[in-house]
Amino acid sequence: MTTDETQPARATGRGGAQPASPPPPPSFDDTIWPVVDRALAGVTATPERGSLDLIVHVPRDEVVAALRALKRHADLGFDYLRSLTAVDNEDEGIDVVYHLYSTAKRLNLTVKATLPNNDLRIETATGVWRAANWLERETAEMFGVTFAGHPDPRTLLLPEDMTDTFPLRKDHPLAEIEVLQGEGMGYTAEGQ
Amino acid sequence: MAVTPADVTTQPATEPRPAAPPAPEPTTPAVPGEHPNEAPRLTPVEVVPGRALYKEVLPGVLQVPADLLLAASRKSSLWPMTFGLACCAIEMIATYMSHYDLDRFGIVPWPSPRQSDVMIVAGTVTKKMAPAVKLLYEQMPNPKWVISMGACATNGGPYTRYDRVLQGVDKVIPVDVYVPGCPPRPEALMDAFLALQGMIMEERKAQGRA
Amino acid sequence: MAMPRLPDQEFETQDIMINMGPQHPSTHGVFRMVLTVDGEVVRDVVPYVGYMHRGAEKLCETMDYRQGIGYMDRTEYLANFNAELSYVMAVEQLMDIQVPERAQWIRMILCELNRISSHFMFTGAFGTDVGVFGTAFTYSFIQREIVQDLFEEITGDRLMYAYFRPGGLAWEVTDNFVERVREVLTQVKQGLKDVDGLMTANEIFIARTRGVGTISTEDAIDYGMSGPALRASGVDLDIRKTEPYLYYDQVDFDVPVGEHGDVYDRFLLRVEEIRQSIRIVEQCLERLRPGPILPERMPRMLRTPPGEVYIRTEAPRGEYGIYLVSKGGNRPYRLKIRSAGLSNLQALKEMTVGQYVADAVVILGSIDIVLCEVDR
Repeated sequence: MTTDETQPARATGRGGAQPASPPPPPSFDDTIWPVVDRALAGVTATPERGSLDLIVHVPRDEVVAALRALKRHADLGFDYLRSLTAVDNEDEGIDVVYHLYSTAKRLNLTVKATLPNNDLRIETATGVWRAANWLERETAEMFGVTFAGHPDPRTLLLPEDMTDTFPLRKDHPLAEIEVLQGEGMGYTAEGQ
Repeated sequence: MAVTPADVTTQPATEPRPAAPPAPEPTTPAVPGEHPNEAPRLTPVEVVPGRALYKEVLPGVLQVPADLLLAASRKSSLWPMTFGLACCAIEMIATYMSHYDLDRFGIVPWPSPRQSDVMIVAGTVTKKMAPAVKLLYEQMPNPKWVISMGACATNGGPYTRYDRVLQGVDKVIPVDVYVPGCPPRPEALMDAFLALQGMIMEERKAQGRA
Repeated sequence: MAMPRLPDQEFETQDIMINMGPQHPSTHGVFRMVLTVDGEVVRDVVPYVGYMHRGAEKLCETMDYRQGIGYMDRTEYLANFNAELSYVMAVEQLMDIQVPERAQWIRMILCELNRISSHFMFTGAFGTDVGVFGTAFTYSFIQREIVQDLFEEITGDRLMYAYFRPGGLAWEVTDNFVERVREVLTQVKQGLKDVDGLMTANEIFIARTRGVGTISTEDAIDYGMSGPALRASGVDLDIRKTEPYLYYDQVDFDVPVGEHGDVYDRFLLRVEEIRQSIRIVEQCLERLRPGPILPERMPRMLRTPPGEVYIRTEAPRGEYGIYLVSKGGNRPYRLKIRSAGLSNLQALKEMTVGQYVADAVVILGSIDIVLCEVDR
């Protein structure tokens, strides 16, 4: 495992009493943040240190422009979309997370966009990478996020006739264990 | 001097005709209904109570009830439809292969439902897949049996709390043998087949599943 | 192989839609694709997945970290150790646990042996698709049984091991581990010769697979493909070399890269990867030393600090990634499994359109999908 990124100055709360002084603002100069900042000129981007990679928070309306800029920038060239998913932070909205990789420069980056709970729409990234096609279909049916402009918005993994609930949301319950035969589907065993 | 036929006929008999052999004494015939003067055709058979007489008379003939014969032939040649859904499919294939051979029981995996006897549901049945399972079951001709292999096909297994998973395949089709395990060992699947064979010999229904 | 040009037809033909349904002997599980064919040439492919969607991600949110290891096994049931490895590495990264050296070497040995058995399963299933019906499976399952016997001695189970724990291993390996692994390697080398003799130089096999199902380098990267399916198109991307984990940067091995991007290259690549895995295991056996397999002070209840991590490892099928979001506590808040099969399957249409119907099965087999991983 590559552990060349130092941990940020986090208040650990352990280790005895220390005089209360505000921790210094974390600097990201040892990561790829300076280059990313230049590439995302014109987009409000906020960096954050993840456990392995750099995370960049981008507002929802500028996400696809930012992704396109990250793909085209000569020093970065994020041409490989590793993963596209969402996280349900119950009251704060739903985060759409993109994990990017550059095959030429061997760099990793995570891009996050937060969607408010009352307006779960975001523009599709299929124009940037074709890999986003199925990943967005899966995220849409699991969380109820609408990807505007998606060429093929059908369900991917869930049955077509059960699209009214979104399984991966936090308020979606687990199933109860059915004891009687025929409860689940409305079928009964032959002979009964 | 040549003896002409004329000489023979005119010659008087020189010897008296031999006397007719004495009539044999009438004996009780060994087999009732036989004529007393007949040479015995069959060797006398000792009648032992509880033993079928025909086994002595006609060796090499086996008399069995017809449904026993049908059941024995059905159990010796069960052709399962290859219906491996998930991880249990790997153990099912391993049971077919040379290490734990199932071919010695007459079990040959067959892809088509129209020509198979057994359906081994090996793996989780989701609600998306359940109509297909029911359709395949209805396509199989009688007599047919179902082995539900693994915990997922029995009652949903480790995935039973997810609401898109069917909690057991017996909610859509009737099951004859349940095999526990996640995944069950190949020996467990062989045991299931032997149990199914025992069931077939006990039931012996000539029409299969009614 | 260039597509022959048919003479102009005088009559109108209609395209037929063929449904290769969820139950099919060669769909490697429950996968459905609807092919639109014009005569014998495929015009369109619409894949339908999701018949094995069992909600592993949602169920893991209700499970403790140690309970979730079993679900990772069942997701990728041919390369279980690689799946478990990603998961436990994610937990270790969040909790900042240092894994002892012996545990890392044993993990490497087991992961590479699992890669060998997974690639043997591929040769069996792929041979069956191409037409070596049954014989390929028999050869490959002999080798799989040999490796599975070793795994059963160590972990107790034939298929679902659940042997890795965050911090190391669950228990110590058997005393004759090194000799047993050497025995297994000897037998596996012989098995590899059998597979080679059966398929690699077989001219019918080559005629069926050479030039079929090509995908270009740019398309492969754009679709997010990974693993041997990507490397066959000429992209030298192996996570064991680019972002090394465990001790892959301390052992010597080559990563085969293909040229043509067709089905035959993908097959050759996987056979060559078996050889390289044997090489890695032999080197690991040299470096294995006695020692602990868990750090001294492992907490009984694994509580991760808030944070998130995306761990990627090179599973036999491609990149198996675990995106773990934790908000404190002993359960994941969000666990996303990035499966190689889902991303590789997106390119199926690109590879199949324009080929013959009989090649559609061969191309699907060459991507080497495991439906439980695609659908999770």
